[in-house]
Amino acid sequence: MRKTFPILGGMLAASLGLAAMASEPAAPAAPAWTPATLMQTLQAMPKGDAARGKQLHSEQFCASCHGVAGESTTMNWPSLVGQRVEYTYKMLLDYKTKRRMEDQRGHLMVTAVQTLKEQDMADLAAFYAAQPLPAMQGGNDVAEKLVRQGDPTRLVTPCAACHGLHGQGGVNETPALAGMTPEYFVRTMKRYRDGSRDSDAMQAMRAFAKPLTDAEIEALAAYYAAASR
Amino acid sequence: MFKKITLGLVLAGSMTGSLALAEPTGEMLAQTCAGCHGTQGRLASDSAFMPLAGMSEGSFVKAMQDFSSGARPNTLMGPIAKGFSEAEIRSMAAYFAKQPK
Amino acid sequence: MNELKGMQRRHFLKLLGASALAGAGVSGKSAFAGAQPHVVVIGGGVGGATFAKYLKLADKNIKVTIVEKERQYLRPYGSSEVISGHITMQDITVSYDALQKNYGIEFVFDTVTGIDFEGKSVKTAGGKNLGYDRLVVSPGISFNFGAIEGLTEEVSDTLMPHAWIPGKQTELLAKQLKELPKGGTVLISVPQNPYRCPPGPYERAGLIAQYLKEHNPTARVIILDAKDGFTTDLTMLQAWNRLYGFNIPEEFKGYSVEGLKAAGFTEDEAKRQLAAWKPIKHDKPGMIEWVMGSQGGRVVRVDPASMTVHTEGGSYKGDMINIIPPLKAGKLALETGLADGTGWCPVDRVTFESSIHKGVHVIGDASIADVMPKSGYSANSQAKVCALQVKALLAGQSPAEPVWQNTCYALAGNQNYGQFVADVFRIKDGKIARMNSPRYLPLDATPVQNSLAALYTHAWMKSFTDDCFA
Repeated sequence: MRKTFPILGGMLAASLGLAAMASEPAAPAAPAWTPATLMQTLQAMPKGDAARGKQLHSEQFCASCHGVAGESTTMNWPSLVGQRVEYTYKMLLDYKTKRRMEDQRGHLMVTAVQTLKEQDMADLAAFYAAQPLPAMQGGNDVAEKLVRQGDPTRLVTPCAACHGLHGQGGVNETPALAGMTPEYFVRTMKRYRDGSRDSDAMQAMRAFAKPLTDAEIEALAAYYAAASR
Repeated sequence: MFKKITLGLVLAGSMTGSLALAEPTGEMLAQTCAGCHGTQGRLASDSAFMPLAGMSEGSFVKAMQDFSSGARPNTLMGPIAKGFSEAEIRSMAAYFAKQPK
Repeated sequence: MNELKGMQRRHFLKLLGASALAGAGVSGKSAFAGAQPHVVVIGGGVGGATFAKYLKLADKNIKVTIVEKERQYLRPYGSSEVISGHITMQDITVSYDALQKNYGIEFVFDTVTGIDFEGKSVKTAGGKNLGYDRLVVSPGISFNFGAIEGLTEEVSDTLMPHAWIPGKQTELLAKQLKELPKGGTVLISVPQNPYRCPPGPYERAGLIAQYLKEHNPTARVIILDAKDGFTTDLTMLQAWNRLYGFNIPEEFKGYSVEGLKAAGFTEDEAKRQLAAWKPIKHDKPGMIEWVMGSQGGRVVRVDPASMTVHTEGGSYKGDMINIIPPLKAGKLALETGLADGTGWCPVDRVTFESSIHKGVHVIGDASIADVMPKSGYSANSQAKVCALQVKALLAGQSPAEPVWQNTCYALAGNQNYGQFVADVFRIKDGKIARMNSPRYLPLDATPVQNSLAALYTHAWMKSFTDDCFA
């Protein structure tokens, strides 16, 4: 079901005219993930302590943007509640190593995670994973079709194939999407679609997002956001 | 929302403070936020700050309460939130909720 | 150009006023059925630009004209980063295009030669005669070179720049810093209050210290201050203590329960912070030295030939000398009698209408605004309040109770250590007063708070500039 693509290295977006605004000098980004390096890294992830993660979530200012429990009180920044540990861990590493730094918010994340060690990242991941994932509500035809059936005419794989029928994620590092904040979802999908986000290990999301229209992305965003918190 | 206005004709005179002035409107209060959060709560483009336009009243009020109490960690929003009364915060919330994104 | 005589228009507006009572605070709906009132704004800096934009947002049917002598704006806030080489003059250049395109604000790029307060018109060098219903003057600052013996405009332009208005002097300081001899001395003089941007000279000192740390580590910065404290002193000095080997002077009283309470913290918060952080005592002097006013730091005389600065307490030779002289309101305010004996402009606190000339508002650095610091954010905040008040006044309505903010970020020196001042103001007992909330980060803030504050500093510069000019 999953396609294999040749690996494209290098960061495209780090120099998008942000030089004058950046609070840190543009440093070379880490090499792009390969399936092998990603698998190794995830297997080496330390066991996380959710209680410690909760403390870090507050001390490290994650709560400032992502909300007291990671639920994110704005539509603009991602909800972290119920997120899978593999995905959170990868995201934090992506930011720390500047594989992800697509925009000003990305810069903010890069700044915020500089002092985190691998154990800290695992603890934070455990804290978010320990919280109940919002329950999907369904009810959006365009989205339901894409989620369950995809669109073979455009080689669009069903989202559920990796993200699960309940938006719980699950295949390799694929994230949970249930309860994802809609504006963040839309922004993310558009960035995958135009390639400005390129931290996905095998360009997978970039390929899946490419055929989607704006309307479809909005429909999917609404679908996942409708999950009850 | 109609605010009480003292209908003194004050075309040219200066205000001595003895006339009762209407409380600042949600608009005036909210305008003090625009330096970071954008004119009318809309940010020009990519920003580390968040836009406030169209934010639900409940979310806005909760955010300001959590900043003020320290429940939500922050750099600067705690001090700012503490500078406004509850009524003023509700007034700002109503203004931002109405702003188109 | 609409030039109805002042009196005629006022009479017409009086008639209109009675029936044009839109609810206060409903923006965008014009209160004027027929005549188009004209508001002239002198000065296209932060104050003037923000006022014009927000008046147009409040009522697009009011005609607004900005008279400004420069075709582009050089932003003073954050301009010290040009001196330290982080950004260029291009980065601090702001266009007036958006104000014209997006809000229909008219621009007259010219200097003002006179204001006819009786006839309500502004005269320009190019011969224009702009009639107004209300005038807003936002002229910024001018320099009282005479307050320091030996300091003239020419000395300032060539040897001892202030760069307190950005331009050639900013470039000169940047050049001087690059060319500083190994182990050289940078002198920065800071005037007595009030002056534009209270933390500015210290942020500049930190940026210079950081540059020296990287390029000329035996060089140092000496701050010659007329004062014993400054906005953001608690967090700035703590940062320098950590980053630049700075020793907190014995005479500095800020790190005490009283000092922290004055900064808006509660007694418990103050005690907690003082228990959590003790200044490091460095054996040798660090990169920054701060000569406080009470230690004789105030500059009284300069000798350009020998590059020496004389203070009340001593004499200092420098290789790079940044003299920020005492300031006054912008020349236009002084020349047209809008300023009083203090050199600043007294205004009504509700509307910022001049106490000297009626129908004229003075905003920004030039105005006397009690405890509101003279800053870009204050000018922006005053401008917005003034716009709403002017709209009300033109419509024959009562102005509202004002509220202002002054929220600015500043770097302590390097690009990862930031801080801020956050103030909310209301009128209390007839004067502008601060609401009693903490102004700064606490002394036990975590490194992530400081690095986020640094990031926000740059984000703020963009969003703030957009709020004023875009």
